[in-house]
Amino acid sequence: MTQRRADLTGRQPGAVLSALSVLEEVARAGPGVTARQISASLGLPRATAYRLLNLLVQDEYLVRLPDLSGFALGRKVALLAGLSVRQETEREIGAVLTPMRARIRGGVHLADLRGGNVGFLDVDEDFPLSDPDRITSDLKASAVGRLVLAERHRPANTEPAPYAVQVGVLVPGFGCCAVPIRDGAGRLVAAVALALPATRLADPPALASLLADDIRRLASVLESRP
Amino acid sequence: MRALNRAIDAPPAVDAVPATSPMAGLKWRAIGFVDVLAQAVRAIAPTAAAASTPALVVGQTGGALLLCLLLAWLLVGGVWAAIKQFTQRMRAPGSLYTFTTKGLGPHAGFAAAFALVVGYGFVAMFGLVGAGMYAQNLVSTAGVHSGGWGAAAGVALFGAVCFVVLRRGIRLSARVTLVVELVAVALMLTLLGIVLSHADAAALTRPVTAGVPSPGHLAAGTAVAMTAFVGFESAAALGRETRRPFFTIPRTMRWTVLAVGFAYLASMYIQQVGTETFGLPLADNDLAMTQLAGHSGVPWMGRLVEFGQATSLVACAIASLMALSRVLFTLGREGVLPAAVGWADPLRGTPLVALAAVIPVTVAVPLVLLGIGWTPWHTMSALLVVSAVGYLTAYTLVCAAAPAFLRRIGELTPRVGVVSSVAAAVLAVVVGVYLTVVARTQTLALWLVLALVGIGLGLYLWLRLTRRSRLAGMGLFDETTAADLLGADTLEGAGRV
Repeated sequence: MTQRRADLTGRQPGAVLSALSVLEEVARAGPGVTARQISASLGLPRATAYRLLNLLVQDEYLVRLPDLSGFALGRKVALLAGLSVRQETEREIGAVLTPMRARIRGGVHLADLRGGNVGFLDVDEDFPLSDPDRITSDLKASAVGRLVLAERHRPANTEPAPYAVQVGVLVPGFGCCAVPIRDGAGRLVAAVALALPATRLADPPALASLLADDIRRLASVLESRP
Repeated sequence: MRALNRAIDAPPAVDAVPATSPMAGLKWRAIGFVDVLAQAVRAIAPTAAAASTPALVVGQTGGALLLCLLLAWLLVGGVWAAIKQFTQRMRAPGSLYTFTTKGLGPHAGFAAAFALVVGYGFVAMFGLVGAGMYAQNLVSTAGVHSGGWGAAAGVALFGAVCFVVLRRGIRLSARVTLVVELVAVALMLTLLGIVLSHADAAALTRPVTAGVPSPGHLAAGTAVAMTAFVGFESAAALGRETRRPFFTIPRTMRWTVLAVGFAYLASMYIQQVGTETFGLPLADNDLAMTQLAGHSGVPWMGRLVEFGQATSLVACAIASLMALSRVLFTLGREGVLPAAVGWADPLRGTPLVALAAVIPVTVAVPLVLLGIGWTPWHTMSALLVVSAVGYLTAYTLVCAAAPAFLRRIGELTPRVGVVSSVAAAVLAVVVGVYLTVVARTQTLALWLVLALVGIGLGLYLWLRLTRRSRLAGMGLFDETTAADLLGADTLEGAGRV
């Protein structure tokens, strides 16, 4: 995929989507589907469909069966596996976070904590992170970082922390409550961070229990990610 | 993307996909763009063709060189468009004849196979004799006079070189000869630039203002000009051996046709201007380039270009034999020829028996012609004519096959249908006119063509009577195998030669 294509350039994002829909159609119709059937079921002009099919055959995402009229998915389609699963995961995460953001008048972020590092899977666009560099590097500064630290220094056979809070460290008068998301084995994998005015952070256990259902749903979505 | 995800999780079973390809044994995806380009370029032998074609075309038309060349270029473009339809969809070492079989069935396919064997075989002989002749000249300028035996010894020697190179595989030799060819073309264009600097204004406009010749002359000139392009399609024979073949092969052919077309335009225009300026004859003057160099005060460049032509001819023989051996290999796999011809060297992945069968014949035929007293130049021009008839016939058939093939698989579009059909019709006319020209000017070549047509018909009848099922089984190509499908658990290339 390193050569520049005359037929398919970055200026034609529509062609990429059409190519993906051709792949999806071949998967849906099954091996042996013909070019004519594909162009008919996708409503693509025939010349366009043939060109896309030939491009996909060139790069072995599709193969022609020995009769030369039927198509099947090529071995390279396996490379798309990660991509499509990731898209699916992002969509499902959005389906949980959007109603939460409507319900909670404050910033709702989803942090990735795998491997003991802080990253972000989904940042609330209406409430951007105040200092993303410091949050990811200085674990003591943020609520999600404090969750990671608590997990790291937790003595064996003790209950994990149900939440972590910081108030006024990053922005005076504002703070954050982080509620952990754990995988099936109980490992800390992610956290929901609520960015709120300091006054609304007085009762963290109540906030944590308010999110209990959403946390469970997010845990199951994240469980299936690659 | 739900269906796609499901398919990735549990790949569907695909019926009718074999575990191994009918072409297994030939090396699999070993070569890249440069090697394919080298194959197409050296099969064309642009240095030799650019130097000699103007003289041959003027011999037919008496002028209107550029018009004939442009028509030939356009027509070759049509042939490319037809062949592209196949090379985007299948990998076939049998190239044009397998394509024809897929469109028009095995009977037309056999005709294309025979035409292609003649085309490749005779141009390889032409290359060997040409190289032998240049070698003889070289030796005689060193003071050793070999008589008629020099060229014959050269033919045998270069035949042996071809065998060694092709048996080992084509990679290194392809790159070396590509560089030599490019240097030779650059040298020739430089020489032509020097010639141009000597030209006066009247001579400069003469080629452009030449009148339009009669339709017969125009067709004859176009046919001769087309022979300068033949060979570009030989890249298609490397389908199995090329990485990303459906991308690389059509594009290589396109760029080759475009690039050599420009080189020919320059060469034709300037040779015409130059001979006009210096008062030299151009029609059928095989020494035009050398004489132009002499008159321009750079005779040494003329000799270098001659040397370039000689290497170009050896490279042309190698490239043509490469394609020819793949054609015979496929015929062997199909059972049309003895199965042994379809045997590939397991170590090198090259069609060893096909090479061993064809190279001695390629050496023997010119030796016989030289032995019965033909001069090397006479032998060369007759061999080239026979080869051109073979090529043009195969082109006509493949152009006619393209729309039929696309209709069969349900992918025919109006534009491709019109372009291919028009190209096929015009080519059929060109072949006919070319034969009448040959009948007028090269009677011996015509007899050779007729003898070959007789042999071809005899073979066809014999196959129909004794091996009907094998004839019906023609059209084998490098099919998709189970290892190409989603869910194949073999590593890239594992289990393939």
